[in-house]
Amino acid sequence: MSRTYILLTIVAILGAAVLVFLPEKKNQKELDPEKLLMEINNSSRYLSTDLVAHRLIEKDPSILLVDVRPAAQYGEYALPGAINIPLEQVLLIDNEGYLNRNDLEIVLYSNGDLWADQAWILCARRGYKNLYVLKGGLNHWFESIMQPKSPSPGSPSQDFDMYSFRLAASQYFGGGANIETNTENSTENVIIKRREKKSVTAGGC
Amino acid sequence: MGPLIPMGIIPDQWNSVMAVLIGVAFGFVLESSGFSSSRKIVGLFYGYDFTVLRVFFTAAVTTAVGLAYFSYVGWIDMSLAYIHPTYLTAAIVGGLIMGLGFITGGFCPGTSLCAVAIGKIDGIIFTIGLMLGIFIFSEGYPVWEGLYNGNYLGSVKVTESLGISDNLFIFLFAVMALAAFYVTSLIGRRIKEVNY
Repeated sequence: MSRTYILLTIVAILGAAVLVFLPEKKNQKELDPEKLLMEINNSSRYLSTDLVAHRLIEKDPSILLVDVRPAAQYGEYALPGAINIPLEQVLLIDNEGYLNRNDLEIVLYSNGDLWADQAWILCARRGYKNLYVLKGGLNHWFESIMQPKSPSPGSPSQDFDMYSFRLAASQYFGGGANIETNTENSTENVIIKRREKKSVTAGGC
Repeated sequence: MGPLIPMGIIPDQWNSVMAVLIGVAFGFVLESSGFSSSRKIVGLFYGYDFTVLRVFFTAAVTTAVGLAYFSYVGWIDMSLAYIHPTYLTAAIVGGLIMGLGFITGGFCPGTSLCAVAIGKIDGIIFTIGLMLGIFIFSEGYPVWEGLYNGNYLGSVKVTESLGISDNLFIFLFAVMALAAFYVTSLIGRRIKEVNY
Protein backbone atom coordinates (compact mmCIF):
# COMPACT_ATOMS: atom_id res chain seq x y z
CA MET A 1 0.00 0.00 0.00
CA SER A 2 1.45 3.34 -0.94
CA ARG A 3 2.32 5.99 1.57
CA THR A 4 -0.03 8.57 0.03
CA TYR A 5 -2.90 6.16 0.35
CA ILE A 6 -2.26 5.69 4.06
CA LEU A 7 -1.80 9.43 4.55
CA LEU A 8 -5.10 10.27 2.83
CA THR A 9 -6.90 7.63 4.87
CA ILE A 10 -5.54 9.17 8.06
CA VAL A 11 -6.70 12.62 6.92
CA ALA A 12 -10.21 11.31 6.28
CA ILE A 13 -10.39 9.54 9.63
CA LEU A 14 -9.05 12.54 11.54
CA GLY A 15 -11.49 14.79 9.71
CA ALA A 16 -14.36 12.53 10.71
CA ALA A 17 -13.10 12.29 14.30
CA VAL A 18 -12.92 16.07 14.70
CA LEU A 19 -16.53 16.31 13.47
CA VAL A 20 -17.73 14.40 16.52
CA PHE A 21 -16.20 16.95 18.85
CA LEU A 22 -17.32 20.05 16.97
CA PRO A 23 -19.61 22.11 19.16
CA GLU A 24 -23.25 22.24 18.14
CA LYS A 25 -23.85 25.14 15.90
CA LYS A 26 -27.10 26.61 14.84
CA ASN A 27 -26.91 26.98 11.15
CA GLN A 28 -30.24 28.72 10.89
CA LYS A 29 -30.16 31.58 8.49
CA GLU A 30 -31.93 34.46 10.10
CA LEU A 31 -32.38 37.98 8.97
CA ASP A 32 -30.26 40.32 11.00
CA PRO A 33 -32.27 42.49 13.43
CA GLU A 34 -31.61 45.84 11.75
CA LYS A 35 -32.71 44.60 8.36
CA LEU A 36 -35.78 43.09 9.95
CA LEU A 37 -36.68 46.37 11.64
CA MET A 38 -36.33 48.14 8.32
CA GLU A 39 -38.64 45.66 6.67
CA ILE A 40 -41.16 45.88 9.50
CA ASN A 41 -41.34 49.64 9.08
CA ASN A 42 -41.77 49.28 5.37
CA SER A 43 -45.47 49.19 4.65
CA SER A 44 -45.09 47.82 1.14
CA ARG A 45 -45.90 44.37 2.47
CA TYR A 46 -49.56 45.35 2.79
CA LEU A 47 -51.86 44.55 -0.07
CA SER A 48 -55.26 46.19 -0.16
CA THR A 49 -58.40 44.07 -0.23
CA ASP A 50 -59.29 45.62 -3.61
CA LEU A 51 -56.00 44.53 -5.13
CA VAL A 52 -56.30 41.02 -3.77
CA ALA A 53 -59.93 40.79 -4.92
CA HIS A 54 -58.91 41.97 -8.36
CA ARG A 55 -56.19 39.35 -8.61
CA LEU A 56 -58.47 36.61 -7.36
CA ILE A 57 -61.10 37.51 -9.94
CA GLU A 58 -58.49 37.47 -12.66
CA LYS A 59 -57.41 34.05 -11.40
CA ASP A 60 -53.85 35.26 -11.09
CA PRO A 61 -51.79 32.10 -10.66
CA SER A 62 -48.87 33.90 -9.02
CA ILE A 63 -50.66 34.55 -5.76
CA LEU A 64 -51.13 32.14 -2.87
CA LEU A 65 -53.42 33.07 -0.01
CA VAL A 66 -52.48 31.69 3.37
CA ASP A 67 -55.02 31.74 6.18
CA VAL A 68 -53.15 31.91 9.51
CA ARG A 69 -56.25 31.55 11.69
CA PRO A 70 -56.99 28.32 13.58
CA ALA A 71 -58.36 25.48 11.48
CA ALA A 72 -61.87 25.81 12.95
CA GLN A 73 -62.19 29.40 11.76
CA TYR A 74 -60.74 28.47 8.42
CA GLY A 75 -63.38 25.76 8.13
CA GLU A 76 -66.14 28.29 8.68
CA TYR A 77 -65.02 30.73 6.07
CA ALA A 78 -61.96 31.25 3.95
CA LEU A 79 -61.05 33.21 0.90
CA PRO A 80 -61.27 31.19 -2.30
CA GLY A 81 -58.11 29.20 -2.97
CA ALA A 82 -56.61 29.93 0.44
CA ILE A 83 -54.68 27.28 2.30
CA ASN A 84 -54.68 27.07 6.08
CA ILE A 85 -51.48 27.31 8.09
CA PRO A 86 -52.39 28.33 11.65
CA LEU A 87 -50.02 30.84 13.22
CA GLU A 88 -48.48 28.33 15.62
CA GLN A 89 -47.60 26.05 12.73
CA VAL A 90 -45.95 28.68 10.57
CA LEU A 91 -42.45 27.55 11.49
CA LEU A 92 -43.05 23.84 10.92
CA ILE A 93 -40.62 22.48 8.40
CA ASP A 94 -43.51 20.89 6.47
CA ASN A 95 -44.89 24.32 5.74
CA GLU A 96 -41.69 25.76 4.37
CA GLY A 97 -42.63 24.47 0.92
CA TYR A 98 -45.68 26.75 0.92
CA LEU A 99 -44.26 29.84 2.56
CA ASN A 100 -40.77 30.02 1.14
CA ARG A 101 -41.41 30.42 -2.55
CA ASN A 102 -39.66 32.28 -5.28
CA ASP A 103 -42.40 31.71 -7.81
CA LEU A 104 -45.44 32.83 -5.81
CA GLU A 105 -46.50 35.85 -3.85
CA ILE A 106 -47.67 34.66 -0.48
CA VAL A 107 -50.50 36.73 0.99
CA LEU A 108 -51.03 36.11 4.69
CA TYR A 109 -54.36 37.01 6.24
CA SER A 110 -56.23 36.65 9.48
CA ASN A 111 -59.33 38.33 10.90
CA GLY A 112 -57.48 41.56 11.43
CA ASP A 113 -53.86 42.46 10.75
CA LEU A 114 -52.31 41.15 13.92
CA TRP A 115 -51.85 37.42 13.41
CA ALA A 116 -50.98 37.83 9.77
CA ASP A 117 -48.37 40.41 10.73
CA GLN A 118 -46.92 38.10 13.38
CA ALA A 119 -46.72 35.29 10.86
CA TRP A 120 -45.11 37.72 8.44
CA ILE A 121 -42.41 38.65 10.96
CA LEU A 122 -41.68 35.01 11.77
CA CYS A 123 -41.34 34.15 8.10
CA ALA A 124 -39.35 37.28 7.27
CA ARG A 125 -36.90 36.40 10.03
CA ARG A 126 -36.47 33.02 8.46
CA GLY A 127 -35.48 34.87 5.31
CA TYR A 128 -38.53 33.94 3.23
CA LYS A 129 -39.20 36.17 0.27
CA ASN A 130 -42.33 37.44 -1.49
CA LEU A 131 -44.43 37.73 1.63
CA TYR A 132 -47.43 40.05 1.88
CA VAL A 133 -50.16 40.78 4.36
CA LEU A 134 -53.79 41.45 3.50
CA LYS A 135 -54.38 44.94 4.89
CA GLY A 136 -57.19 44.91 7.41
CA GLY A 137 -57.67 41.17 7.15
CA LEU A 138 -61.02 39.48 6.71
CA ASN A 139 -62.84 42.16 8.70
CA HIS A 140 -61.88 44.76 6.18
CA TRP A 141 -62.54 42.27 3.40
CA PHE A 142 -66.16 42.07 4.51
CA GLU A 143 -66.49 45.81 4.92
CA SER A 144 -64.97 46.68 1.59
CA ILE A 145 -65.61 43.78 -0.75
CA MET A 146 -68.53 41.77 0.54
CA GLN A 147 -70.70 44.64 1.79
CA PRO A 148 -69.43 47.79 0.12
CA LYS A 149 -71.03 51.08 1.11
CA SER A 150 -72.12 53.49 -1.52
CA PRO A 151 -70.03 56.67 -1.50
CA SER A 152 -71.79 59.85 -0.54
CA PRO A 153 -72.99 62.04 -3.44
CA GLY A 154 -70.33 64.52 -4.38
CA SER A 155 -67.44 62.11 -3.79
CA PRO A 156 -64.73 62.01 -6.43
CA SER A 157 -65.44 59.79 -9.40
CA GLN A 158 -62.70 57.35 -8.37
CA ASP A 159 -64.79 56.46 -5.35
CA PHE A 160 -67.69 55.54 -7.58
CA ASP A 161 -65.43 53.51 -9.84
CA MET A 162 -64.16 51.68 -6.81
CA TYR A 163 -67.68 51.17 -5.55
CA SER A 164 -68.81 49.64 -8.82
CA PHE A 165 -65.77 47.36 -8.80
CA ARG A 166 -66.53 46.32 -5.25
CA LEU A 167 -70.17 45.63 -6.12
CA ALA A 168 -69.08 43.40 -8.96
CA ALA A 169 -66.49 41.74 -6.77
CA SER A 170 -69.10 41.23 -4.08
CA GLN A 171 -71.30 39.38 -6.55
CA TYR A 172 -68.32 37.37 -7.73
CA PHE A 173 -67.39 36.27 -4.22
CA GLY A 174 -70.99 35.68 -3.27
CA GLY A 175 -71.32 38.58 -0.88
CA GLY A 176 -74.57 40.11 0.29
CA ALA A 177 -74.43 43.44 -1.49
CA ASN A 178 -77.58 44.19 -3.45
CA ILE A 179 -78.28 40.55 -4.07
CA GLU A 180 -81.01 39.30 -1.85
CA THR A 181 -81.09 35.76 -3.15
CA ASN A 182 -77.47 35.10 -2.45
CA THR A 183 -76.80 36.00 1.13
CA GLU A 184 -74.79 32.96 2.06
CA ASN A 185 -71.08 33.28 2.08
CA SER A 186 -69.69 30.63 -0.14
CA THR A 187 -67.12 28.48 1.47
CA GLU A 188 -65.40 26.78 -1.30
CA ASN A 189 -64.04 23.42 -0.56
CA VAL A 190 -60.35 23.87 -0.93
CA ILE A 191 -58.27 20.84 -1.54
CA ILE A 192 -54.86 21.38 -0.10
CA LYS A 193 -52.20 19.97 -2.28
CA ARG A 194 -48.94 19.34 -0.55
CA ARG A 195 -46.18 20.61 -2.71
CA GLU A 196 -43.99 17.71 -3.59
CA LYS A 197 -40.32 18.17 -3.05
CA LYS A 198 -38.70 18.83 -6.36
CA SER A 199 -37.81 15.37 -7.49
CA VAL A 200 -34.31 15.10 -8.65
CA THR A 201 -33.45 12.43 -11.13
CA ALA A 202 -32.51 9.57 -8.91
CA GLY A 203 -29.51 7.50 -9.74
CA GLY A 204 -27.57 4.59 -8.46
CA CYS A 205 -24.17 3.62 -9.57
CA MET B 1 -24.59 29.63 -0.20
CA GLY B 2 -25.09 26.07 -1.42
CA PRO B 3 -26.70 23.94 -2.72
CA LEU B 4 -26.09 25.96 -5.85
CA ILE B 5 -29.18 25.19 -7.89
CA PRO B 6 -31.89 25.30 -5.17
CA MET B 7 -30.40 28.56 -3.88
CA GLY B 8 -30.63 30.04 -7.35
CA ILE B 9 -26.90 30.69 -7.72
CA ILE B 10 -26.96 28.46 -10.77
CA PRO B 11 -30.25 28.88 -12.66
CA ASP B 12 -32.66 25.95 -12.68
CA GLN B 13 -32.26 25.51 -16.41
CA TRP B 14 -28.70 24.34 -15.89
CA ASN B 15 -29.93 21.33 -13.96
CA SER B 16 -29.73 18.93 -16.89
CA VAL B 17 -26.46 20.37 -18.12
CA MET B 18 -24.90 19.88 -14.69
CA ALA B 19 -26.32 16.36 -14.59
CA VAL B 20 -24.63 15.56 -17.90
CA LEU B 21 -21.29 17.03 -16.75
CA ILE B 22 -21.39 15.17 -13.43
CA GLY B 23 -22.44 12.02 -15.28
CA VAL B 24 -19.47 12.30 -17.60
CA ALA B 25 -17.12 12.81 -14.64
CA PHE B 26 -18.69 9.84 -12.87
CA GLY B 27 -18.26 7.66 -15.94
CA PHE B 28 -14.64 8.76 -16.18
CA VAL B 29 -13.97 7.80 -12.56
CA LEU B 30 -15.69 4.44 -13.01
CA GLU B 31 -13.66 3.69 -16.12
CA SER B 32 -10.37 4.84 -14.64
CA SER B 33 -11.00 2.71 -11.54
CA GLY B 34 -11.32 -0.26 -13.88
CA PHE B 35 -15.03 -0.73 -13.29
CA SER B 36 -15.81 -1.38 -16.91
CA SER B 37 -14.40 -4.86 -16.34
CA SER B 38 -17.00 -7.24 -14.97
CA ARG B 39 -14.27 -9.42 -13.48
CA LYS B 40 -13.11 -6.57 -11.31
CA ILE B 41 -16.63 -5.87 -10.11
CA VAL B 42 -17.56 -9.43 -9.18
CA GLY B 43 -14.11 -9.78 -7.59
CA LEU B 44 -15.61 -8.33 -4.43
CA PHE B 45 -18.19 -11.12 -4.31
CA TYR B 46 -15.69 -13.91 -4.94
CA GLY B 47 -13.07 -12.29 -2.76
CA TYR B 48 -10.13 -11.62 -5.06
CA ASP B 49 -10.45 -7.91 -5.80
CA PHE B 50 -11.66 -5.25 -3.40
CA THR B 51 -11.38 -2.17 -5.59
CA VAL B 52 -15.17 -1.70 -5.68
CA LEU B 53 -15.39 -1.62 -1.93
CA ARG B 54 -12.47 0.80 -1.62
CA VAL B 55 -13.65 3.19 -4.31
CA PHE B 56 -17.20 3.43 -3.01
CA PHE B 57 -16.26 3.60 0.66
CA THR B 58 -13.68 6.30 -0.14
CA ALA B 59 -16.22 8.25 -2.17
CA ALA B 60 -18.85 8.02 0.58
CA VAL B 61 -16.47 8.97 3.41
CA THR B 62 -14.91 11.85 1.48
CA THR B 63 -18.31 13.25 0.52
CA ALA B 64 -19.80 12.84 3.98
CA VAL B 65 -16.86 14.44 5.77
CA GLY B 66 -16.65 17.23 3.18
CA LEU B 67 -20.36 18.02 3.32
CA ALA B 68 -20.33 17.97 7.12
CA TYR B 69 -17.61 20.61 7.19
CA PHE B 70 -19.27 22.64 4.44
CA SER B 71 -22.45 22.59 6.45
CA TYR B 72 -20.59 23.54 9.62
CA VAL B 73 -18.99 26.63 8.12
CA GLY B 74 -22.27 27.50 6.43
CA TRP B 75 -21.36 26.91 2.80
CA ILE B 76 -24.23 24.54 2.26
CA ASP B 77 -27.71 24.30 3.70
CA MET B 78 -28.19 20.57 4.15
CA SER B 79 -31.90 21.01 4.81
CA LEU B 80 -32.24 21.83 1.10
CA ALA B 81 -30.35 18.76 -0.05
CA TYR B 82 -32.37 16.11 -1.78
CA ILE B 83 -32.91 13.00 0.33
CA HIS B 84 -34.06 10.00 -1.59
CA PRO B 85 -37.37 8.72 -0.16
CA THR B 86 -37.36 5.22 1.31
CA TYR B 87 -39.73 2.57 0.04
CA LEU B 88 -38.72 -0.31 2.25
CA THR B 89 -40.28 -3.21 0.35
CA ALA B 90 -39.04 -1.97 -2.99
CA ALA B 91 -35.58 -1.36 -1.55
CA ILE B 92 -35.29 -4.90 -0.23
CA VAL B 93 -36.77 -6.68 -3.25
CA GLY B 94 -34.99 -4.36 -5.68
CA GLY B 95 -31.74 -4.83 -3.77
CA LEU B 96 -32.02 -8.60 -4.11
CA ILE B 97 -32.76 -8.39 -7.84
CA MET B 98 -29.97 -5.90 -8.39
CA GLY B 99 -27.51 -8.00 -6.39
CA LEU B 100 -28.41 -11.08 -8.41
CA GLY B 101 -28.00 -9.17 -11.66
CA PHE B 102 -24.74 -7.75 -10.36
CA ILE B 103 -23.20 -11.18 -9.81
CA THR B 104 -24.61 -12.93 -12.87
CA GLY B 105 -24.09 -10.03 -15.28
CA GLY B 106 -20.98 -8.57 -13.72
CA PHE B 107 -22.10 -4.97 -13.99
CA CYS B 108 -24.23 -2.44 -12.25
CA PRO B 109 -26.22 -0.09 -14.49
CA GLY B 110 -23.58 2.66 -14.49
CA THR B 111 -20.60 0.43 -15.14
CA SER B 112 -22.44 -1.45 -17.89
CA LEU B 113 -22.73 1.84 -19.77
CA CYS B 114 -19.00 2.43 -19.21
CA ALA B 115 -18.38 -1.00 -20.71
CA VAL B 116 -20.60 -0.14 -23.67
CA ALA B 117 -18.62 3.05 -24.16
CA ILE B 118 -15.38 1.12 -24.57
CA GLY B 119 -17.06 -1.47 -26.79
CA LYS B 120 -17.34 -4.50 -24.53
CA ILE B 121 -19.75 -7.07 -25.92
CA ASP B 122 -20.87 -8.36 -22.51
CA GLY B 123 -21.61 -4.77 -21.54
CA ILE B 124 -23.78 -4.32 -24.63
CA ILE B 125 -25.71 -7.53 -23.91
CA PHE B 126 -26.12 -6.43 -20.27
CA THR B 127 -27.49 -3.05 -21.35
CA ILE B 128 -30.00 -4.70 -23.70
CA GLY B 129 -31.11 -6.82 -20.75
CA LEU B 130 -31.34 -3.66 -18.65
CA MET B 131 -33.60 -1.99 -21.21
CA LEU B 132 -35.69 -5.14 -21.40
CA GLY B 133 -36.06 -5.08 -17.62
CA ILE B 134 -37.11 -1.44 -17.68
CA PHE B 135 -39.64 -2.24 -20.41
CA ILE B 136 -41.12 -5.17 -18.49
CA PHE B 137 -41.25 -3.11 -15.29
CA SER B 138 -42.96 -0.18 -16.99
CA GLU B 139 -45.48 -2.27 -18.91
CA GLY B 140 -46.31 -4.42 -15.91
CA TYR B 141 -46.39 -1.51 -13.48
CA PRO B 142 -49.99 -2.10 -12.33
CA VAL B 143 -48.99 -5.63 -11.28
CA TRP B 144 -46.19 -4.55 -8.92
CA GLU B 145 -47.49 -1.14 -8.00
CA GLY B 146 -48.26 -2.32 -4.44
CA LEU B 147 -44.81 -3.79 -4.09
CA TYR B 148 -43.21 -0.68 -5.54
CA ASN B 149 -44.96 1.70 -3.12
CA GLY B 150 -44.98 -0.64 -0.12
CA ASN B 151 -43.77 0.49 3.31
CA TYR B 152 -43.16 4.08 2.34
CA LEU B 153 -41.12 5.76 5.07
CA GLY B 154 -40.66 9.18 3.50
CA SER B 155 -37.34 10.96 3.16
CA VAL B 156 -35.77 9.57 6.30
CA LYS B 157 -32.10 9.72 7.09
CA VAL B 158 -30.35 6.78 8.67
CA THR B 159 -29.33 9.00 11.59
CA GLU B 160 -32.98 9.88 12.23
CA SER B 161 -33.99 6.24 12.49
CA LEU B 162 -30.96 5.43 14.66
CA GLY B 163 -31.38 8.54 16.77
CA ILE B 164 -27.73 9.61 16.68
CA SER B 165 -26.15 12.80 15.41
CA ASP B 166 -25.07 13.07 11.78
CA ASN B 167 -21.47 13.72 12.69
CA LEU B 168 -21.22 10.73 15.00
CA PHE B 169 -22.59 8.55 12.24
CA ILE B 170 -20.05 9.91 9.77
CA PHE B 171 -17.25 9.11 12.21
CA LEU B 172 -18.53 5.57 12.81
CA PHE B 173 -18.88 5.13 9.07
CA ALA B 174 -15.29 6.27 8.52
CA VAL B 175 -14.08 3.83 11.18
CA MET B 176 -16.06 1.09 9.46
CA ALA B 177 -14.44 2.01 6.14
CA LEU B 178 -11.00 1.94 7.73
CA ALA B 179 -11.68 -1.50 9.20
CA ALA B 180 -12.90 -2.71 5.81
CA PHE B 181 -9.77 -1.34 4.10
CA TYR B 182 -7.55 -3.06 6.64
CA VAL B 183 -9.30 -6.43 6.49
CA THR B 184 -9.39 -6.46 2.70
CA SER B 185 -5.72 -5.54 2.51
CA LEU B 186 -4.95 -8.51 4.77
CA ILE B 187 -6.95 -10.79 2.50
CA GLY B 188 -5.38 -9.17 -0.55
CA ARG B 189 -1.93 -10.17 0.63
CA ARG B 190 -2.85 -13.83 0.94
CA ILE B 191 -4.36 -14.36 -2.48
CA LYS B 192 -2.69 -14.60 -5.84
CA GLU B 193 -2.83 -11.47 -7.90
CA VAL B 194 -5.34 -11.75 -10.72
CA ASN B 195 -4.56 -10.09 -14.00
CA TYR B 196 -7.33 -9.15 -16.36
